[in-house]
Amino acid sequence: MRRSPRFFSRRLTARERLVYGAATFWFLTVSAALVWPLYTPFARVRPFVLGVPFALAFLAGVLIASFAAGVALYRWESRRGFLDRDVSD
Amino acid sequence: MPAWVVAFGVTLGYLLVSLVVGLLSGRRASSGPEGYIAGDRSLGFVLMYFIMGASIFSAFSFLGGPGWAYSRGAAAFYILSYATVGLIPWYAYGPRVARLGRRFGYVTQAELFAHRFDSRWLSAALAIISLVAFVPYLVLQMQGAGYVFNVVTEGRVPHWLGAAIAYGVVLTYVLASGVMGVGWTNTFQGVFMMVLAWGLGLYLPYRLYGGVGPMFQELAAAVPEMLAPPGLDGAGDRWSWGGYSSAIAVSAIGFSLWPHYFMKIYTASSERVLKKTIIFYPTFQVFLIPIIFIGFSGILRYRDVVPADAILPTILMSMQLPPFVVGLFCAGALAASMSTGDALLHAAGSIMVRDFVCVLSPRALSDGEQTRLIRVLVLVISAFAYYFAVVSELSLVALLLLAYGFLVQIAPVLVATFYWPRATPQGVLSGLAVGCSVVILFYYVPVLQWQQVQPGIFGLVANLITLVAVSLLTEPMDEAHVEQFVVS
Repeated sequence: MRRSPRFFSRRLTARERLVYGAATFWFLTVSAALVWPLYTPFARVRPFVLGVPFALAFLAGVLIASFAAGVALYRWESRRGFLDRDVSD
Repeated sequence: MPAWVVAFGVTLGYLLVSLVVGLLSGRRASSGPEGYIAGDRSLGFVLMYFIMGASIFSAFSFLGGPGWAYSRGAAAFYILSYATVGLIPWYAYGPRVARLGRRFGYVTQAELFAHRFDSRWLSAALAIISLVAFVPYLVLQMQGAGYVFNVVTEGRVPHWLGAAIAYGVVLTYVLASGVMGVGWTNTFQGVFMMVLAWGLGLYLPYRLYGGVGPMFQELAAAVPEMLAPPGLDGAGDRWSWGGYSSAIAVSAIGFSLWPHYFMKIYTASSERVLKKTIIFYPTFQVFLIPIIFIGFSGILRYRDVVPADAILPTILMSMQLPPFVVGLFCAGALAASMSTGDALLHAAGSIMVRDFVCVLSPRALSDGEQTRLIRVLVLVISAFAYYFAVVSELSLVALLLLAYGFLVQIAPVLVATFYWPRATPQGVLSGLAVGCSVVILFYYVPVLQWQQVQPGIFGLVANLITLVAVSLLTEPMDEAHVEQFVVS
Protein backbone atom coordinates (compact mmCIF):
# COMPACT_ATOMS: atom_id res chain seq x y z
CA MET A 1 0.00 0.00 0.00
CA ARG A 2 1.17 3.53 -0.78
CA ARG A 3 1.99 5.22 2.50
CA SER A 4 3.51 8.56 1.55
CA PRO A 5 1.43 11.70 1.05
CA ARG A 6 0.76 12.80 -2.55
CA PHE A 7 -0.44 16.28 -3.47
CA PHE A 8 -0.52 16.14 -7.29
CA SER A 9 -2.05 13.38 -9.40
CA ARG A 10 0.24 11.13 -11.45
CA ARG A 11 -2.10 11.72 -14.40
CA LEU A 12 -0.89 15.32 -14.74
CA THR A 13 1.88 16.11 -17.22
CA ALA A 14 5.16 17.63 -16.06
CA ARG A 15 4.08 21.03 -17.38
CA GLU A 16 0.73 20.83 -15.61
CA ARG A 17 2.44 19.91 -12.37
CA LEU A 18 4.73 22.89 -12.84
CA VAL A 19 1.76 25.24 -13.21
CA TYR A 20 -0.06 23.79 -10.18
CA GLY A 21 3.18 23.80 -8.20
CA ALA A 22 3.78 27.45 -9.09
CA ALA A 23 0.18 28.33 -8.15
CA THR A 24 0.56 26.53 -4.81
CA PHE A 25 3.84 28.35 -4.13
CA TRP A 26 2.23 31.68 -5.06
CA PHE A 27 -0.75 31.26 -2.73
CA LEU A 28 1.46 30.06 0.13
CA THR A 29 3.67 33.14 -0.37
CA VAL A 30 0.61 35.40 -0.44
CA SER A 31 -0.61 33.82 2.80
CA ALA A 32 2.81 34.23 4.43
CA ALA A 33 2.93 37.88 3.32
CA LEU A 34 -0.05 38.63 5.57
CA VAL A 35 1.65 37.61 8.82
CA TRP A 36 4.90 37.96 10.74
CA PRO A 37 7.71 38.07 9.61
CA LEU A 38 7.03 38.82 5.92
CA TYR A 39 4.37 41.44 6.65
CA THR A 40 6.45 43.45 9.15
CA PRO A 41 8.42 45.54 6.57
CA PHE A 42 5.08 46.63 5.08
CA ALA A 43 3.30 47.21 8.40
CA ARG A 44 3.86 50.97 8.48
CA VAL A 45 1.74 54.08 8.14
CA ARG A 46 3.69 56.00 5.48
CA PRO A 47 3.75 56.47 2.58
CA PHE A 48 0.04 56.84 2.09
CA VAL A 49 -1.30 55.13 -1.04
CA LEU A 50 -4.50 56.57 -2.50
CA GLY A 51 -5.10 58.20 0.87
CA VAL A 52 -4.82 55.06 3.02
CA PRO A 53 -1.91 53.91 5.24
CA PHE A 54 0.69 51.78 3.50
CA ALA A 55 -0.09 48.72 5.67
CA LEU A 56 -3.73 48.72 4.56
CA ALA A 57 -2.88 49.51 0.93
CA PHE A 58 -0.47 46.55 0.96
CA LEU A 59 -3.24 44.22 2.14
CA ALA A 60 -5.58 45.56 -0.54
CA GLY A 61 -2.78 44.94 -3.07
CA VAL A 62 -2.38 41.36 -1.84
CA LEU A 63 -6.12 40.84 -2.20
CA ILE A 64 -6.03 42.14 -5.78
CA ALA A 65 -2.93 40.09 -6.63
CA SER A 66 -4.53 36.98 -5.18
CA PHE A 67 -7.66 37.58 -7.24
CA ALA A 68 -5.61 38.19 -10.42
CA ALA A 69 -3.59 34.99 -9.94
CA GLY A 70 -6.81 33.06 -9.35
CA VAL A 71 -8.35 34.42 -12.54
CA ALA A 72 -5.19 33.50 -14.48
CA LEU A 73 -5.25 29.94 -13.12
CA TYR A 74 -8.96 29.60 -13.85
CA ARG A 75 -8.53 30.82 -17.43
CA TRP A 76 -5.59 28.46 -17.98
CA GLU A 77 -7.66 25.51 -16.74
CA SER A 78 -10.64 26.64 -18.80
CA ARG A 79 -8.58 26.86 -22.01
CA ARG A 80 -7.29 23.32 -21.49
CA GLY A 81 -10.78 21.99 -20.80
CA PHE A 82 -9.80 21.05 -17.23
CA LEU A 83 -12.93 22.50 -15.70
CA ASP A 84 -15.04 19.97 -17.53
CA ARG A 85 -13.12 16.84 -16.54
CA ASP A 86 -11.63 15.18 -13.48
CA VAL A 87 -8.49 17.24 -12.86
CA SER A 88 -8.88 18.67 -9.38
CA ASP A 89 -5.83 16.83 -8.11
CA MET B 1 -44.84 61.14 11.60
CA PRO B 2 -42.09 60.50 14.22
CA ALA B 3 -38.67 59.71 12.74
CA TRP B 4 -38.41 56.35 14.49
CA VAL B 5 -41.67 55.19 12.89
CA VAL B 6 -40.25 55.86 9.39
CA ALA B 7 -36.99 54.05 10.21
CA PHE B 8 -38.89 51.16 11.79
CA GLY B 9 -41.15 50.98 8.72
CA VAL B 10 -38.14 50.73 6.38
CA THR B 11 -36.69 47.92 8.52
CA LEU B 12 -39.98 46.03 8.54
CA GLY B 13 -40.24 46.52 4.77
CA TYR B 14 -36.84 44.90 4.36
CA LEU B 15 -37.97 41.96 6.53
CA LEU B 16 -41.09 41.53 4.41
CA VAL B 17 -39.07 41.43 1.17
CA SER B 18 -36.68 38.88 2.73
CA LEU B 19 -39.62 36.72 3.75
CA VAL B 20 -41.24 36.79 0.31
CA VAL B 21 -37.94 36.04 -1.47
CA GLY B 22 -37.20 33.20 0.96
CA LEU B 23 -40.60 31.59 0.62
CA LEU B 24 -40.81 31.84 -3.16
CA SER B 25 -37.33 30.41 -3.72
CA GLY B 26 -37.96 26.99 -2.20
CA ARG B 27 -40.53 25.94 -4.77
CA ARG B 28 -38.07 24.49 -7.26
CA ALA B 29 -36.16 22.10 -4.94
CA SER B 30 -37.24 18.52 -4.22
CA SER B 31 -38.70 17.69 -0.80
CA GLY B 32 -36.07 15.14 0.39
CA PRO B 33 -32.83 15.85 2.32
CA GLU B 34 -30.84 16.30 -0.92
CA GLY B 35 -33.21 19.06 -2.05
CA TYR B 36 -33.57 20.64 1.41
CA ILE B 37 -29.86 20.52 2.33
CA ALA B 38 -27.98 20.56 -1.00
CA GLY B 39 -30.53 22.22 -3.33
CA ASP B 40 -30.44 19.12 -5.56
CA ARG B 41 -26.78 20.06 -6.32
CA SER B 42 -28.02 22.59 -8.84
CA LEU B 43 -26.81 26.02 -7.65
CA GLY B 44 -25.24 28.31 -10.24
CA PHE B 45 -22.51 30.93 -9.86
CA VAL B 46 -24.63 33.88 -8.68
CA LEU B 47 -26.32 31.95 -5.87
CA MET B 48 -23.07 30.28 -4.80
CA TYR B 49 -21.24 33.63 -4.79
CA PHE B 50 -23.81 35.33 -2.59
CA ILE B 51 -24.33 32.38 -0.26
CA MET B 52 -20.59 32.27 0.43
CA GLY B 53 -20.18 36.04 0.60
CA ALA B 54 -23.22 36.94 2.66
CA SER B 55 -22.80 34.02 5.06
CA ILE B 56 -19.45 35.37 6.23
CA PHE B 57 -20.65 38.97 6.23
CA SER B 58 -22.18 38.60 9.66
CA ALA B 59 -23.34 40.90 12.43
CA PHE B 60 -19.74 40.65 13.64
CA SER B 61 -18.46 42.11 10.36
CA PHE B 62 -21.06 44.87 10.24
CA LEU B 63 -20.94 45.96 13.89
CA GLY B 64 -17.81 44.22 15.23
CA GLY B 65 -15.55 45.19 12.29
CA PRO B 66 -16.00 48.93 12.85
CA GLY B 67 -15.80 48.25 16.60
CA TRP B 68 -12.38 46.63 16.22
CA ALA B 69 -11.06 49.45 14.01
CA TYR B 70 -12.42 52.04 16.47
CA SER B 71 -11.01 50.47 19.63
CA ARG B 72 -7.98 48.49 18.39
CA GLY B 73 -6.96 50.33 15.20
CA ALA B 74 -4.89 48.31 12.73
CA ALA B 75 -5.65 45.09 14.63
CA ALA B 76 -8.85 45.11 12.55
CA PHE B 77 -6.75 44.45 9.44
CA TYR B 78 -6.61 40.82 10.52
CA ILE B 79 -10.24 40.40 9.40
CA LEU B 80 -9.36 41.50 5.87
CA SER B 81 -6.22 39.34 5.86
CA TYR B 82 -7.74 35.99 6.72
CA ALA B 83 -10.72 36.53 4.46
CA THR B 84 -8.36 37.15 1.51
CA VAL B 85 -6.87 33.67 1.60
CA GLY B 86 -9.43 31.70 3.60
CA LEU B 87 -11.28 30.11 0.71
CA ILE B 88 -8.28 29.31 -1.52
CA PRO B 89 -7.83 25.73 -0.19
CA TRP B 90 -11.20 24.91 -1.75
CA TYR B 91 -9.63 25.31 -5.18
CA ALA B 92 -7.46 22.28 -4.43
CA TYR B 93 -9.93 19.92 -2.76
CA GLY B 94 -13.38 21.44 -3.41
CA PRO B 95 -14.07 19.71 -6.75
CA ARG B 96 -13.01 16.34 -5.29
CA VAL B 97 -15.41 16.88 -2.38
CA ALA B 98 -18.21 17.80 -4.81
CA ARG B 99 -17.59 14.71 -6.97
CA LEU B 100 -17.49 12.36 -3.98
CA GLY B 101 -20.68 14.01 -2.74
CA ARG B 102 -22.45 13.24 -6.00
CA ARG B 103 -21.11 9.71 -6.08
CA PHE B 104 -21.92 8.72 -2.50
CA GLY B 105 -24.79 11.13 -1.74
CA TYR B 106 -23.07 13.22 0.95
CA VAL B 107 -24.69 16.45 2.02
CA THR B 108 -22.58 17.24 5.11
CA GLN B 109 -18.89 17.52 5.92
CA ALA B 110 -18.82 14.66 8.44
CA GLU B 111 -20.43 12.20 6.01
CA LEU B 112 -17.36 12.45 3.80
CA PHE B 113 -14.84 12.04 6.63
CA ALA B 114 -16.83 9.29 8.36
CA HIS B 115 -17.01 7.30 5.12
CA ARG B 116 -13.31 7.77 4.35
CA PHE B 117 -12.35 6.54 7.83
CA ASP B 118 -15.26 4.13 8.18
CA SER B 119 -16.09 5.53 11.61
CA ARG B 120 -19.50 6.61 12.87
CA TRP B 121 -17.83 7.95 16.03
CA LEU B 122 -15.88 10.38 13.89
CA SER B 123 -19.20 11.55 12.44
CA ALA B 124 -20.72 12.03 15.89
CA ALA B 125 -17.60 13.84 17.17
CA LEU B 126 -17.63 16.25 14.20
CA ALA B 127 -21.37 16.88 14.71
CA ILE B 128 -20.71 17.88 18.33
CA ILE B 129 -17.78 20.12 17.34
CA SER B 130 -19.99 21.76 14.70
CA LEU B 131 -22.79 22.42 17.15
CA VAL B 132 -20.40 23.82 19.76
CA ALA B 133 -19.00 26.16 17.09
CA PHE B 134 -22.40 27.16 15.70
CA VAL B 135 -24.37 28.04 18.82
CA PRO B 136 -22.26 30.95 20.12
CA TYR B 137 -21.98 32.30 16.58
CA LEU B 138 -25.74 32.07 16.16
CA VAL B 139 -26.36 33.72 19.52
CA LEU B 140 -24.20 36.68 18.49
CA GLN B 141 -26.29 37.08 15.31
CA MET B 142 -29.51 37.08 17.33
CA GLN B 143 -28.12 39.60 19.80
CA GLY B 144 -27.12 41.80 16.85
CA ALA B 145 -30.66 41.64 15.44
CA GLY B 146 -32.20 42.52 18.82
CA TYR B 147 -29.78 45.41 19.17
CA VAL B 148 -30.69 46.80 15.74
CA PHE B 149 -34.42 46.86 16.51
CA ASN B 150 -33.73 48.50 19.85
CA VAL B 151 -31.69 51.25 18.18
CA VAL B 152 -34.11 51.90 15.31
CA THR B 153 -37.11 52.29 17.62
CA GLU B 154 -35.16 54.38 20.13
CA GLY B 155 -35.58 51.73 22.82
CA ARG B 156 -39.29 51.03 22.27
CA VAL B 157 -38.75 47.48 20.98
CA PRO B 158 -36.75 45.51 23.58
CA HIS B 159 -33.87 43.28 22.51
CA TRP B 160 -35.82 40.07 23.10
CA LEU B 161 -38.67 41.15 20.85
CA GLY B 162 -36.36 42.42 18.10
CA ALA B 163 -34.45 39.13 18.00
CA ALA B 164 -37.75 37.24 17.98
CA ILE B 165 -39.12 39.27 15.03
CA ALA B 166 -35.98 38.90 12.89
CA TYR B 167 -35.47 35.23 13.62
CA GLY B 168 -39.18 34.49 13.26
CA VAL B 169 -38.75 35.55 9.63
CA VAL B 170 -35.52 33.54 9.28
CA LEU B 171 -37.13 30.42 10.73
CA THR B 172 -40.12 30.74 8.41
CA TYR B 173 -38.08 30.71 5.21
CA VAL B 174 -35.46 28.21 6.43
CA LEU B 175 -38.17 25.75 7.47
CA ALA B 176 -40.15 26.25 4.27
CA SER B 177 -37.40 26.51 1.65
CA GLY B 178 -34.16 25.02 3.04
CA VAL B 179 -30.95 25.95 1.28
CA MET B 180 -32.78 27.57 -1.65
CA GLY B 181 -34.40 30.03 0.76
CA VAL B 182 -31.00 30.72 2.32
CA GLY B 183 -29.45 31.21 -1.15
CA TRP B 184 -31.94 33.66 -2.62
CA THR B 185 -32.36 35.74 0.54
CA ASN B 186 -28.56 35.89 0.82
CA THR B 187 -28.40 37.22 -2.74
CA PHE B 188 -30.86 39.97 -1.89
CA GLN B 189 -29.18 40.68 1.45
CA GLY B 190 -25.68 40.55 -0.07
CA VAL B 191 -26.42 43.22 -2.68
CA PHE B 192 -28.04 45.34 0.00
CA MET B 193 -25.01 45.06 2.32
CA MET B 194 -22.51 45.84 -0.45
CA VAL B 195 -24.27 49.08 -1.36
CA LEU B 196 -24.64 50.09 2.26
CA ALA B 197 -21.04 49.24 3.26
CA TRP B 198 -19.53 51.33 0.47
CA GLY B 199 -22.06 54.12 0.96
CA LEU B 200 -21.35 54.49 4.67
CA GLY B 201 -17.63 53.72 4.40
CA LEU B 202 -17.08 56.62 2.01
CA TYR B 203 -19.75 58.99 3.32
CA LEU B 204 -18.78 59.01 7.01
CA PRO B 205 -15.08 59.92 6.46
CA TYR B 206 -16.21 62.60 3.98
CA ARG B 207 -18.76 64.06 6.39
CA LEU B 208 -16.48 63.95 9.45
CA TYR B 209 -13.05 64.72 7.92
CA GLY B 210 -13.56 65.81 4.31
CA GLY B 211 -12.59 62.43 2.82
CA VAL B 212 -10.76 59.15 3.42
CA GLY B 213 -7.31 60.68 2.78
CA PRO B 214 -7.76 63.61 5.19
CA MET B 215 -9.14 61.22 7.81
CA PHE B 216 -6.04 59.03 7.76
CA GLN B 217 -3.73 62.07 7.67
CA GLU B 218 -5.38 63.41 10.80
CA LEU B 219 -5.25 60.01 12.50
CA ALA B 220 -1.57 59.58 11.59
CA ALA B 221 -0.77 62.89 13.26
CA ALA B 222 -2.87 62.29 16.39
CA VAL B 223 -2.77 58.52 17.03
CA PRO B 224 -0.13 56.91 14.77
CA GLU B 225 -0.06 53.76 16.95
CA MET B 226 -3.64 53.01 15.83
CA LEU B 227 -2.67 52.82 12.15
CA ALA B 228 0.37 50.56 12.32
CA PRO B 229 -0.17 46.77 12.57
CA PRO B 230 -0.48 44.80 14.73
CA GLY B 231 -2.53 47.54 16.40
CA LEU B 232 -3.78 47.31 19.98
CA ASP B 233 -4.99 44.40 22.07
CA GLY B 234 -8.27 44.29 24.02
CA ALA B 235 -6.70 46.13 26.97
CA GLY B 236 -5.42 48.99 24.80
CA ASP B 237 -1.76 47.90 24.87
CA ARG B 238 0.29 47.08 21.80
CA TRP B 239 -0.84 43.70 20.39
CA SER B 240 1.93 41.16 19.86
CA TRP B 241 2.84 39.89 16.39
CA GLY B 242 2.28 36.38 17.75
CA GLY B 243 -1.32 37.21 18.67
CA TYR B 244 -2.01 39.05 15.40
CA SER B 245 -0.41 36.44 13.12
CA SER B 246 -1.89 33.43 14.89
CA ALA B 247 -5.34 35.04 14.84
CA ILE B 248 -5.02 35.26 11.04
CA ALA B 249 -3.65 31.69 10.80
CA VAL B 250 -6.39 30.15 12.95
CA SER B 251 -9.13 32.10 11.19
CA ALA B 252 -7.77 31.38 7.69
CA ILE B 253 -7.44 27.65 8.37
CA GLY B 254 -10.82 27.47 10.06
CA PHE B 255 -12.56 29.63 7.45
CA SER B 256 -12.91 26.99 4.75
CA LEU B 257 -13.67 24.30 7.32
CA TRP B 258 -16.78 25.87 8.86
CA PRO B 259 -19.24 23.01 8.33
CA HIS B 260 -21.99 25.33 7.04
CA TYR B 261 -19.65 26.64 4.31
CA PHE B 262 -18.17 23.24 3.56
CA MET B 263 -21.66 21.85 2.92
CA LYS B 264 -22.16 24.43 0.20
CA ILE B 265 -19.55 22.64 -1.92
CA TYR B 266 -22.18 19.94 -2.47
CA THR B 267 -24.70 22.48 -3.75
CA ALA B 268 -22.58 23.59 -6.76
CA SER B 269 -23.97 22.49 -10.11
CA SER B 270 -20.50 21.93 -11.63
CA GLU B 271 -16.75 22.17 -11.02
CA ARG B 272 -16.70 25.32 -13.15
CA VAL B 273 -19.27 27.02 -10.90
CA LEU B 274 -17.40 26.00 -7.76
CA LYS B 275 -14.02 27.25 -8.97
CA LYS B 276 -15.46 30.49 -10.33
CA THR B 277 -17.06 31.14 -6.92
CA ILE B 278 -13.71 30.61 -5.19
CA ILE B 279 -11.88 32.87 -7.63
CA PHE B 280 -14.40 35.71 -7.32
CA TYR B 281 -14.73 35.40 -3.56
CA PRO B 282 -12.07 38.11 -2.83
CA THR B 283 -14.26 40.61 -4.69
CA PHE B 284 -16.82 40.19 -1.88
CA GLN B 285 -14.11 40.69 0.75
CA VAL B 286 -13.25 44.11 -0.66
CA PHE B 287 -16.33 45.28 1.24
CA LEU B 288 -14.48 44.83 4.49
CA ILE B 289 -12.35 47.87 3.56
CA PRO B 290 -15.16 50.46 3.86
CA ILE B 291 -16.33 48.64 7.00
CA ILE B 292 -12.89 49.34 8.51
CA PHE B 293 -13.08 52.99 7.35
CA ILE B 294 -16.30 53.38 9.37
CA GLY B 295 -14.54 52.38 12.59
CA PHE B 296 -11.54 54.65 11.95
CA SER B 297 -13.86 57.59 11.29
CA GLY B 298 -15.09 57.46 14.88
CA ILE B 299 -11.71 57.49 16.67
CA LEU B 300 -11.16 61.24 16.90
CA ARG B 301 -14.74 62.48 16.67
CA TYR B 302 -16.49 60.07 19.06
CA ARG B 303 -14.27 59.29 22.01
CA ASP B 304 -15.02 56.68 24.69
CA VAL B 305 -17.96 54.95 23.03
CA VAL B 306 -18.72 51.80 25.04
CA PRO B 307 -19.13 49.11 23.87
CA ALA B 308 -16.92 49.75 20.84
CA ASP B 309 -19.29 47.71 18.65
CA ALA B 310 -21.84 50.51 19.08
CA ILE B 311 -19.66 53.00 17.19
CA LEU B 312 -21.54 52.79 13.88
CA PRO B 313 -25.04 53.27 15.38
CA THR B 314 -23.63 55.99 17.65
CA ILE B 315 -22.24 57.93 14.68
CA LEU B 316 -25.41 57.53 12.65
CA MET B 317 -27.78 58.52 15.43
CA SER B 318 -25.71 61.63 16.19
CA MET B 319 -25.68 62.91 12.61
CA GLN B 320 -29.34 63.83 12.28
CA LEU B 321 -29.64 61.74 9.13
CA PRO B 322 -33.03 61.36 7.43
CA PRO B 323 -35.00 58.56 9.16
CA PHE B 324 -35.24 56.70 5.86
CA VAL B 325 -31.42 56.43 5.76
CA VAL B 326 -31.28 55.29 9.39
CA GLY B 327 -33.86 52.64 8.52
CA LEU B 328 -31.72 51.49 5.60
CA PHE B 329 -28.68 51.16 7.86
CA CYS B 330 -30.66 49.10 10.35
CA ALA B 331 -31.94 46.89 7.55
CA GLY B 332 -28.33 46.40 6.37
CA ALA B 333 -27.20 45.36 9.84
CA LEU B 334 -30.19 43.00 10.04
CA ALA B 335 -29.25 41.59 6.63
CA ALA B 336 -25.74 40.87 7.94
CA SER B 337 -27.14 39.10 10.99
CA MET B 338 -29.82 37.13 9.16
CA SER B 339 -27.71 36.06 6.19
CA THR B 340 -25.30 34.34 8.57
CA GLY B 341 -27.92 33.13 11.04
CA ASP B 342 -30.05 31.42 8.40
CA ALA B 343 -27.08 29.44 7.02
CA LEU B 344 -26.07 28.44 10.57
CA LEU B 345 -29.56 27.31 11.54
CA HIS B 346 -30.04 25.35 8.34
CA ALA B 347 -26.65 23.67 8.71
CA ALA B 348 -27.02 22.94 12.43
CA GLY B 349 -30.31 21.07 11.96
CA SER B 350 -28.99 19.19 8.93
CA ILE B 351 -25.74 18.17 10.62
CA MET B 352 -27.36 16.97 13.84
CA VAL B 353 -29.75 14.74 11.89
CA ARG B 354 -27.37 13.40 9.23
CA ASP B 355 -24.18 13.15 11.29
CA PHE B 356 -25.48 12.37 14.76
CA VAL B 357 -29.01 10.95 14.80
CA CYS B 358 -28.76 8.95 11.56
CA VAL B 359 -25.40 7.34 12.38
CA LEU B 360 -26.32 6.43 15.96
CA SER B 361 -29.94 5.47 15.32
CA PRO B 362 -30.59 1.71 15.43
CA ARG B 363 -32.84 1.95 12.33
CA ALA B 364 -32.47 3.85 9.06
CA LEU B 365 -34.60 7.00 8.78
CA SER B 366 -36.54 7.60 5.58
CA ASP B 367 -35.96 10.77 3.53
CA GLY B 368 -39.25 12.20 4.77
CA GLU B 369 -38.43 11.46 8.41
CA GLN B 370 -35.01 13.08 8.04
CA THR B 371 -36.40 16.28 6.52
CA ARG B 372 -39.07 16.51 9.23
CA LEU B 373 -36.51 15.91 11.97
CA ILE B 374 -34.18 18.56 10.50
CA ARG B 375 -37.03 21.07 10.69
CA VAL B 376 -37.76 20.11 14.30
CA LEU B 377 -34.08 20.48 15.23
CA VAL B 378 -33.84 23.83 13.46
CA LEU B 379 -36.63 24.98 15.80
CA VAL B 380 -35.01 23.45 18.90
CA ILE B 381 -31.55 24.88 18.15
CA SER B 382 -32.97 28.33 17.43
CA ALA B 383 -34.92 28.25 20.72
CA PHE B 384 -31.74 27.21 22.54
CA ALA B 385 -29.71 30.01 20.92
CA TYR B 386 -32.52 32.50 21.57
CA TYR B 387 -32.41 31.65 25.28
CA PHE B 388 -28.68 32.45 25.38
CA ALA B 389 -29.22 35.58 23.27
CA VAL B 390 -31.81 37.23 25.50
CA VAL B 391 -31.69 35.54 28.92
CA SER B 392 -28.30 34.06 29.74
CA GLU B 393 -25.49 36.19 31.16
CA LEU B 394 -22.81 33.81 29.86
CA SER B 395 -19.96 35.44 27.92
CA LEU B 396 -20.34 34.03 24.45
CA VAL B 397 -17.54 35.93 22.80
CA ALA B 398 -15.18 33.87 24.92
CA LEU B 399 -16.99 30.71 23.91
CA LEU B 400 -16.75 31.71 20.25
CA LEU B 401 -12.96 31.96 20.47
CA LEU B 402 -12.86 28.50 22.02
CA ALA B 403 -15.12 27.18 19.27
CA TYR B 404 -12.75 28.48 16.59
CA GLY B 405 -9.92 26.59 18.27
CA PHE B 406 -11.98 23.38 17.99
CA LEU B 407 -12.89 24.05 14.39
CA VAL B 408 -9.26 24.26 13.31
CA GLN B 409 -8.78 20.71 14.58
CA ILE B 410 -10.74 19.47 11.55
CA ALA B 411 -7.90 20.56 9.23
CA PRO B 412 -5.68 17.48 9.85
CA VAL B 413 -8.70 15.22 9.22
CA LEU B 414 -9.21 16.87 5.86
CA VAL B 415 -5.55 16.63 4.86
CA ALA B 416 -5.42 12.98 5.92
CA THR B 417 -8.63 12.24 3.99
CA PHE B 418 -7.25 13.32 0.62
CA TYR B 419 -3.49 13.31 0.85
CA TRP B 420 -2.28 10.62 3.29
CA PRO B 421 -3.42 7.05 2.56
CA ARG B 422 -1.76 5.66 5.68
CA ALA B 423 -4.00 7.67 8.05
CA THR B 424 -6.29 5.47 10.15
CA PRO B 425 -9.58 6.05 12.03
CA GLN B 426 -7.77 5.63 15.35
CA GLY B 427 -5.24 8.24 14.24
CA VAL B 428 -7.75 10.93 13.26
CA LEU B 429 -10.02 10.32 16.27
CA SER B 430 -7.17 10.45 18.79
CA GLY B 431 -5.73 13.48 16.98
CA LEU B 432 -9.07 15.27 17.30
CA ALA B 433 -9.38 14.35 20.98
CA VAL B 434 -5.85 15.48 21.84
CA GLY B 435 -6.13 18.65 19.72
CA CYS B 436 -9.40 19.73 21.37
CA SER B 437 -8.04 18.89 24.84
CA VAL B 438 -4.94 21.03 24.24
CA VAL B 439 -7.15 23.91 23.05
CA ILE B 440 -9.18 23.73 26.29
CA LEU B 441 -6.00 23.51 28.39
CA PHE B 442 -4.31 26.51 26.72
CA TYR B 443 -7.54 28.46 26.78
CA TYR B 444 -8.10 28.08 30.51
CA VAL B 445 -4.40 28.41 31.41
CA PRO B 446 -3.47 31.51 29.38
CA VAL B 447 0.02 31.65 30.86
CA LEU B 448 0.85 28.75 28.53
CA GLN B 449 0.08 30.91 25.47
CA TRP B 450 3.57 31.88 24.42
CA GLN B 451 3.60 35.27 22.62
CA GLN B 452 -0.24 35.37 22.84
CA VAL B 453 -0.42 32.67 20.14
CA GLN B 454 -3.99 31.35 19.80
CA PRO B 455 -4.76 28.04 21.59
CA GLY B 456 -5.97 26.56 18.27
CA ILE B 457 -2.40 26.61 16.91
CA PHE B 458 -1.03 24.60 19.86
CA GLY B 459 -3.94 22.18 19.50
CA LEU B 460 -3.23 21.83 15.79
CA VAL B 461 0.40 20.86 16.39
CA ALA B 462 -0.56 18.30 19.05
CA ASN B 463 -3.32 16.97 16.79
CA LEU B 464 -0.95 16.47 13.84
CA ILE B 465 1.70 14.70 15.92
CA THR B 466 -0.90 12.40 17.48
CA LEU B 467 -2.58 11.65 14.15
CA VAL B 468 0.69 10.62 12.51
CA ALA B 469 2.00 8.63 15.50
CA VAL B 470 -1.23 6.71 16.18
CA SER B 471 -1.82 6.04 12.47
CA LEU B 472 1.64 4.53 12.09
CA LEU B 473 1.06 2.36 15.15
CA THR B 474 -2.30 0.99 13.97
CA GLU B 475 -3.43 -1.26 11.11
CA PRO B 476 -3.68 0.48 7.70
CA MET B 477 -7.13 0.70 6.14
CA ASP B 478 -8.24 -1.36 3.14
CA GLU B 479 -6.33 -0.04 0.11
CA ALA B 480 -9.21 -0.27 -2.37
CA HIS B 481 -11.46 1.73 -0.02
CA VAL B 482 -8.84 4.43 0.61
CA GLU B 483 -8.01 4.81 -3.10
CA GLN B 484 -11.53 6.13 -3.71
CA PHE B 485 -10.66 9.25 -1.71
CA VAL B 486 -6.94 10.02 -1.89
CA VAL B 487 -5.14 11.78 -4.71
CA SER B 488 -3.81 9.07 -7.00
